[in-house]
Order: sequence, then C-alpha cells, then structure tokens
Amino acid sequence: MKISRRDFLKGTATSLFLAGFNFPVLASTSKKKNLVVIMLRGGMDGITAVPVIGDKNLLKRRKKILIDNPIKLDTDFALHPKLNAFHKCWKENTGAIVHATSIPYTARSHFEGQNLMESGGRVPYQEKTGWLGRAMKIANHKGEGLALSLPMPLLLRGVPKNNNYYPSDGRLPREETLELLRSIYADSSEEELLDMMNFVKKRKNEQMMGMTSSYGKRKNGNLAMKAAEYLKKPDGPRVAVFEVNGFDTHAAQGGINGTHTKCLLEMDEIIENLKVYLKEAYKDTLILTVTEFGRTIAQNGGNGTEHGYGTALFMAGGLLKKSQVYSDWPGLKRKELYQGRDLNATIDARSVYASAMSTVFDLDFNRIQKDVFFGDQLQNLSDKLFKA
Amino acid sequence: MKNFFRKVAFGLKPDEKAPSDPLVWAQQQVESIPEFNWKGKHIYSEKEMRKYWITQRVEENTTLRKKYKNDPEGLRRAERKLEADTGKHLWPANELCIRHAEGLRGDHPVLAKLWYFWGNHFTISDTQTLGSYSTGAYQREFLRANMDKNFETMATEATLAWPMIMHLDNKDNIGPKSESAKQEWRRREKRPATLNENHARELMELHTISPEAGYTQEDVIELAKIMTGWRPDWSKRKDHGSDVGFEPDKHEPGKKRVLGKEYKKGRKAIKQAIKDLVNHPSCREFIATKLCRYLITDEPTPQMIAPVIKAWEQSDGFLPEVHKAAIKVAFEYNDKYRKFQNPENWWLTTINMSGSTYSYPVKEKLIDSHPLGIKPFGDISEQAWFLEDLGCHPYRQKQPNGFSDLEKDWLSTELIIRRIMFAKTAFHKFNTQDMLDDNIHEKIIRNNFDNPDKILKIVSKAKTNEEKHILLFNLPEVLKA
Repeated sequence: MKISRRDFLKGTATSLFLAGFNFPVLASTSKKKNLVVIMLRGGMDGITAVPVIGDKNLLKRRKKILIDNPIKLDTDFALHPKLNAFHKCWKENTGAIVHATSIPYTARSHFEGQNLMESGGRVPYQEKTGWLGRAMKIANHKGEGLALSLPMPLLLRGVPKNNNYYPSDGRLPREETLELLRSIYADSSEEELLDMMNFVKKRKNEQMMGMTSSYGKRKNGNLAMKAAEYLKKPDGPRVAVFEVNGFDTHAAQGGINGTHTKCLLEMDEIIENLKVYLKEAYKDTLILTVTEFGRTIAQNGGNGTEHGYGTALFMAGGLLKKSQVYSDWPGLKRKELYQGRDLNATIDARSVYASAMSTVFDLDFNRIQKDVFFGDQLQNLSDKLFKA
Repeated sequence: MKNFFRKVAFGLKPDEKAPSDPLVWAQQQVESIPEFNWKGKHIYSEKEMRKYWITQRVEENTTLRKKYKNDPEGLRRAERKLEADTGKHLWPANELCIRHAEGLRGDHPVLAKLWYFWGNHFTISDTQTLGSYSTGAYQREFLRANMDKNFETMATEATLAWPMIMHLDNKDNIGPKSESAKQEWRRREKRPATLNENHARELMELHTISPEAGYTQEDVIELAKIMTGWRPDWSKRKDHGSDVGFEPDKHEPGKKRVLGKEYKKGRKAIKQAIKDLVNHPSCREFIATKLCRYLITDEPTPQMIAPVIKAWEQSDGFLPEVHKAAIKVAFEYNDKYRKFQNPENWWLTTINMSGSTYSYPVKEKLIDSHPLGIKPFGDISEQAWFLEDLGCHPYRQKQPNGFSDLEKDWLSTELIIRRIMFAKTAFHKFNTQDMLDDNIHEKIIRNNFDNPDKILKIVSKAKTNEEKHILLFNLPEVLKA
C-alpha cells in the first residue's frame, strides 16, 4: 500500500501532537523517488559547460572565452574542468548530459523564456501553472514539493501545499510559544494553519539542534544540504526546486575563472551537496537542470555572448541509466546553426522532463504528454536515459 | 464589527477612536484623492524616474561592457557603483515609504488598501529593472491618480504607460505588413517585423475581460495588430527610454476585428478597443469578483458581486462608486466571511495595531538626506528587505498576473515562519516605554476586537510582551480579517 505523507498528516494529527516531532518511519512497499530541478536563470551556455572537442568553428569564433583543458568525456564532448562534483558523478555512472537541446522557444527574451521553461507551454505567460506542479498533481503528490526560494516558483505551481525553505534571519520563539500557537489553531479548527505549524515545529527542533548556521544559510550549497536532509526522509518531500541566477553574461563572460564559470560552480555545488547528504537516497534521486536558452556561438565585442537557442542539460543521480552525453549533434558550421548564430536544438528539452517525470512519478508518458505538455509532440526517452 | 477595520483597512491604532459609523467612514475615503501623507522631497513623476533608468541602462550596455570586457571582477564592481549612482535601491525604498505612509498615516487607509489592489491588478512585473526605477511612480501616477475617475481612464492610461508597454513587450509588436516591415535593414539583419501578442493577451486576460469572456486566439492577434506601433522609440542615447508614442510606420495597416467588432487602422483604434473592452459585461464581472476576492473571501458568491456590478453599470464604471459598493458588501458580510490577508497587508496591520507607526515607515529626513552614490543601508534598506522576505514586495512581482489573492498561495511553512518572526520585529519597533508597558496589549486588544476578553485570555498565556505580540498577530482573527 502506498501512503502519501499528506494523507498521513491528516490522519494522525492528534497522535502526531502527542508523539512530539519524530515522525515514525513508514513502512512502504514502493521506494520513494525524488526529483530535483535546478533552474539556471539567464541563459546557460552549453558550449562553455560541455564543449565539443576539436571543432575549428568554435576555436575560431570564441578565442577570448574558450575553456582551457576541459575534461574529455567521450570522443566528441568534454566537460568544464571545474565541475568536479559532476565529474565525480560521471565517473560513478550517475552523471549524464543531453546536448543540443532546448525548450521550444527561439525569440531570445529572458522573461518569455523563463516563463516558458517553467510553464512548459509554447505561448509566453499563457499558462499560470508549471509543468512540474501539473505532473505532481496528476501523481497526487500534494504537499510534496519543496522550493529552495521565495516566493513559490511558477514551475511548482499547480499542486497545492508546497513547502519552501529559504531561512530568515533571527531565531524562532520558544517552544512553548509555538506550542501555544499550535493549540490555538487546533482549537479554532484552522486545519491549514495547523498543518503549517506542524512543519514549523519540526523546523524549530532542527534549529535547536544547531543545524542551521546563520552565515550563508541562503547560499545554494547550504540550501542543498538542507534539501537533502528533507528529501531523504521517507515522509519528506519528493520534489525540490533550486534557482541559480546570473548566467546572462553579455560581457566579460571570462574563461576558466569567469562569471559563467562562477554560476556553473554554484550548480555543481548543489549537485555535490545533494549527493553527499542524500547518502543512500541519492540512488533513488534524479537531478535535472533547466534554462531558458543557450548562448551564441560567437563571442561579442565585450567578450561575452548573446542570447541563443540550443544548450546542454545536466542530469545526475542514481535513477540515470548510465553516464553518457546524449545528443543528435547538429554541428557548428554556419549553415548548421540556428539562424546562422546559435547552436541548434535537436531534442525538445521537454521530452527529457516528461520522460524523467514518467520515471520518477511512475506516470504513463503519454498521460504526461497529454495533460502536462498539452499533447505536444514529444519523444519518450525514458528507456534511453533512465532506469525503469 | 471591529474586524471591519482590518478587512478594509489596517485595524485601529491603540489610542485611535473607533469611527462611530464604520461604513460611512470607509466610503468617504474613496470619494476623492488627497495629497500624499508622505512629505519627503522625492515624489517624482514616472518620466523623471525614467532618466535614472536610462542612465543605468545606457551606461551598462555601452560603456561598462566594453571597458571591462576582460575584467569580470571590475565589471561587477562598476555595475554596483552605477546602481548606487542611479539610486537602484534608494528609489524603491523611497516609493515604499510613500506607499506605506498612505496606509499607516492620515485618514484614508481604505483608499490605500484599494490602491494596493490596483497596483497588483495592473502589475508591472520585475523585468528590465523597472521595479527599481519606475513601478512605484507608475502606481502613483497612472493608478492612484485615476482612482476618482472611470475605470476606462485608468485602463487606458495604464495600458499606454511606458512601464506597461515595456514589461509586456509591446515595443516589439510591429505590424508584419507595416512600412517598417519592408525596410531593407530587417532583411539584412534578419530581424523581421512580427507581432508580439503578449500585451494584447494580458490586456484582455488580466486587465479587462478575463478568459470568461470567451475570446479566441484570433481575437488576441487582432487586438495585437491594433496595438502595433505604440512604443517608445529606441535611440543610442536613451535606449528604450523615450516616451511611448504611436509610430504609424510600425502600425499594421487594414481593418481589424476583435470580438466581432471592426476597428479602422490608425492611432484612434486602441482607445476605442479599450473602451469596448471595459464596457464588456465580462469586464465588470471580472473586476467586481476580484474586488470581492481581495476584500471578502477567496470564493465570492454571485450575491456579493451583484451590487458591485450594479454600481458599475449605474455609474459607467466610475471607480469611487464601484469602490463604495464593494466596501458596502464587505461591511454586510463582515461577520460571515474572513479574508486571509496577504503578507504586505498583514505587515501593515501589525504595525498599525501595534502603534509602531511613529518608526515605520522611516522618517522623511532619513530618506531625503541619503545621497545618491551610496547604497542605502540600515532602516532604509530594511523596509524593502522585510517585504522581499515576506514574499510580497509590491514592485517585484514575478509574473504579469501579480501576486495571488488566494490563501492557499500564501500558506507555506516559510511564509508562516516569516509572520512569526516579523510579529517579533514589529514589537521591537516599539519605543522602550511601550515594550515595558504591561498594559499595551490590553489597549491594542480592547480597541480592535469585539470579544476582547477571549482574545486577552489567549494572549495572556504568553509570558513576555514580545511573546504576546507574536501570539496576537498570528491569531486566526488577525491573519484573516
């Protein structure tokens, strides 16, 4: 029998109160699987992160911002040499990349693009919910989403009672005060507030155990540690969403120590801390990245790059079939580029997301395609990329 | 009854005398638009604020990116400096003071609460640094200033306001058959003239008739064609910072048809189209529903909405009448329904009921004496930080549909923790005397609740004044008004 955490909470509110904060470990027949999505805002440059090996076009058009000494992944592709954590995943057969991919959006506006990468639609601002939220709703994963940001990102909207963790300054009040509030909510039958207070009281417990240091607690690396703690609990959330900003490097993109690298390192640190702190649960976890678009192949006059189209998508976790760069590589000759300037996208990134959710949420791919992605033409890549 | 003061305003201050006729008190406030309560010297027009936007934009895009092309650290430093010089953080802090002084000082908090409603209805989402320079001024100049006029006036002015045209991309909405579309440079630079439907869609969906009206994608495209050419011109010195005007060479020629009605080409069509949209039955129903949702309950009933629609019809959408009708409905349903307050309105209620208004918003002289070139700190920057932390900064909406009016979207662990923490913060905005005054909570409670003894009994379970504060402002009776 599958018991969702939400049902559990509802059914046992009183006994939970009596038992304090320790949720009993649930005996569940099916293992809980986790999905983590890292949103890379600003347009992540797939060519900096995962350069293609020995392409003269690239050498010629990106002289000032090339990445030296990339790590060779296979005969065609290499990895940015500073992405140590991802490289470790790769070596352990739990890191993969889909290259020359993008959401189906080519108009190069951040705002429209970021809206679409979260909504999963084709028309900017048309959808008011996110692809992840819609799929969670179908899978009945209510109250199982965790955003490591404020406010709730569009990506998770569409399913009720998501949680977030983005710690504030200062200390929560005394246990007794929280308990007083909790009992007030219980007395006045404020079910929703009561649920929230149960979460808050758990948080309080952890704070008292000294697990939240004040410095840098909103840094993605630390948020990842926290997220891992929550995700690995059998009754914790199944979905977590991170945001990394700053990929929009129009100028001084820099090479190995540049601004783009800095942003990629933030992503790498999330992956690293998730992996380390998820421990065993990393096996049942899938981490994915999403960005609004890639960047131009050529550098501009300011040694940066402009908004482009195709890019790379990182994946990590034990639910991956194997380490691989999965790509239908379109080439970098001018006529092979999108509008003569951008890496083309040969795989709709939403195919990857739909396949991933089909795997993690145990949902039929066709149902996701129809009810989450509006019946758009998508490929089922589940068998190629993920463990059944 | 006392709950009504929290429902349509921000509660009563500890020593404030309750108005004898709450309904009249509330309705009178929306009849005219008084001067701002904030007496600081920086109350600039949207156009004046745009100068800072232009400087920031042009400097960043032209000078800095070239100068520091091989120096990422230098670029970051120069960007920070430019932000301080153009008041990127000072201006929104200043605007927040103007905004919150309306709710907390003076005699028209009801008008303020409704102003906040319109700011969210005609949202400028936080793109292209508009939130830092323009959104506050836009909300004053195009929304508040039109709250004593017809909805049509507000809708027209908001639609053609520069920040709105910018954030909904109408600057990129160029007729594919326009004169401009035929120009050689478009072929050369591969930049064909295309429609951008974004603004047209939101004008219908979010600002006027809503999807309930049953318009089609074809209607959106046709309205977008009517809107082609309304944009600020681009120039090297001003980027897109010029005034919004009608550029005939970018306007799509030919007749257009929206919701079955035909419109001629040219500059007059947009105003006619807005006039028709605001007079569509779905528009008044949509706005009436949203007003009731904002003031009364997440799920307004047809009985609640009906009087507001009627007032709209009888007054041709005259906003003071529409507002009065909504206030009256809120009054009549006061005992039956409680509305979960969004974080900003809750925060202002907490400050107001505490009597901490002498220290929040900060004093005029503090803002006025802060020089450009130095990033604001301390009390000035704290105010913006509070709102960001509460998840509800009014110039930082992520989406064009603004912040949610629904309880479920504001109930999350993190946001409830914020309310607990911020009730504490509000307590520390007291002066020392009040912090030590053992009777302060009795004063607050007696003045703000019909059942003060019950509330007092609950709150007295807390040991310290600080804890009493935390309890009081997180009671269901305060979270929901």
